[in-house]
Amino acid sequence: MSERMYPGLTQEERTGFAPYSAFDIPADLRELHGRYDVEATALRVRNFRYAEEWMMMMMGGWIATIPEIPVKTGLGKVIWETAQAADELGKRLPELRCGRKSLEASEAPNTAFADFVQEVSNPETPDLTIEKLSGVFDVLIPHLVEIYEIHNRETDAICDAPTIAILEDMVRRKHQHIQWGQEVLDALCDDAETQKRRRDRADQLSGLLKESGGVTGVLETVQASLN
Amino acid sequence: MKRFIDHEELARDSRFIRQDAAQANVISSLPDDVETVVNVFEQFGPMIEAGVRGTSAEPLFEELGPGFMLTVLNEPLDPEAPAALSRLLLRMHGIFVGELQALEGAARSLWDFPDAPWEFKMNMARQCWDEARHLQIFEKLLVHLGGHVGMYPESTFLFEACCSEDPAMRVAGVNRGLEGLACDVFRDMIRFADKTGDEVMKQAVDFVLADEITHVRFGSEWVKEFTKGDPEHLKRTQDFRREVDKRFSFGGARSDREDAAIPIAREDRLEAGFTEDELQELSEISGIGPSKATLTEAAQILRDRYHETRDAQKEEAS
Repeated sequence: MSERMYPGLTQEERTGFAPYSAFDIPADLRELHGRYDVEATALRVRNFRYAEEWMMMMMGGWIATIPEIPVKTGLGKVIWETAQAADELGKRLPELRCGRKSLEASEAPNTAFADFVQEVSNPETPDLTIEKLSGVFDVLIPHLVEIYEIHNRETDAICDAPTIAILEDMVRRKHQHIQWGQEVLDALCDDAETQKRRRDRADQLSGLLKESGGVTGVLETVQASLN
Repeated sequence: MKRFIDHEELARDSRFIRQDAAQANVISSLPDDVETVVNVFEQFGPMIEAGVRGTSAEPLFEELGPGFMLTVLNEPLDPEAPAALSRLLLRMHGIFVGELQALEGAARSLWDFPDAPWEFKMNMARQCWDEARHLQIFEKLLVHLGGHVGMYPESTFLFEACCSEDPAMRVAGVNRGLEGLACDVFRDMIRFADKTGDEVMKQAVDFVLADEITHVRFGSEWVKEFTKGDPEHLKRTQDFRREVDKRFSFGGARSDREDAAIPIAREDRLEAGFTEDELQELSEISGIGPSKATLTEAAQILRDRYHETRDAQKEEAS
């Protein structure tokens, strides 16, 4: 057994340390290669950032026109965490060969998704809190969570690990946002009429979202991902 | 959703009632003349009375007449003074609605200026969370002192005065004018809590003051950025900020004057990025207005006349 601490120039001058694969301790079953290359990943990150940035801005627009104080204060926190999400996605872009000035780059996948986002932001008057919140917490955020989780399953788990880490953190927070939004909406929709308003709004926006192909413009579902 | 909203479009639940902003605006432009002050407040009397009916401010109106705000605004908070708790609650409620409007102002900046730099949006988003927490803190403090949300009318003149459609003026108004005023008021509240031994209030307001210093710093930096290379724009923005500072001085109640109810928090403002020159200017702007002696005399006349009229009406009715 060699007692060398460092390798030398000849076959006999190896160290005595046991050999391990990079995946042996702890056991790591991840494989190379994913569904998206660098360019596709960069485009998806810009798509995600577009949704996060606009969602943050529209919630900012709504705070003044929502009469329920706990909704105003709750949205304050969601806004900050959504801005942080957009910021983290922006910081990933220069790492994906988008250039140093790409930190603020957002891109809608198509005009239909941009129109969908504008439709989510449309409710304005103080009597429309249900419509405002349903668009974000029943439709848009659950959709983003679904797509982020699909991305994390299908991207190269080793090469694209930085994106995965960002999305994992975002998903964790988005689950909290959804839970908060559901509790608020459940409290606001306490009779058949308001429950119908919530369902109608969610159905209308889900239809538009589906037509647009979602945040990446390509209809991705959990089912498709399982195939 | 449209860009830019009017202060009348601020949404509130059923606990709130509005106070006409004209009163606050008038206070900031009163001359140092007893007769004029009395005349103005007598003209506003019916409007002020209508605004306080059914609220916790009604007993103050009953005791002091239409000039009750002159007394409330111009006397420092003193735990030994008559109606000390009412005045403390009135100020605490004013801070609560001020935080509410600051939240709404910062949040609207995210929607009203979609093409603003990303760092600006990040600062405004952070401010949204901070102001939302402040709202929660001051609701808790209001309850801690025995009050409740909606107990006094809300004047939306803070939002009205500082929410410009120009981003440089918006941050000058909200982040330097409104948040600067918050620094002065909170330092005064910390002094009061120290005097009364209220550790809950002292610690909470101290944390809020730390946040406000950060918000003023956002304003200082973004005014520079938005007006960079455009001296005319900078001048208009500074003029706007001066006007906001004058309105937010309530005729000298917040100033460097010896008789000020709320002194300017110089150290806090310096830490937040105000320069000595700006503080000197603020000192001059905020000191303009009727002296405390003028307001005290006017308030006394208003009180006596109100009582005379009310007694005469009662006698006639009986």
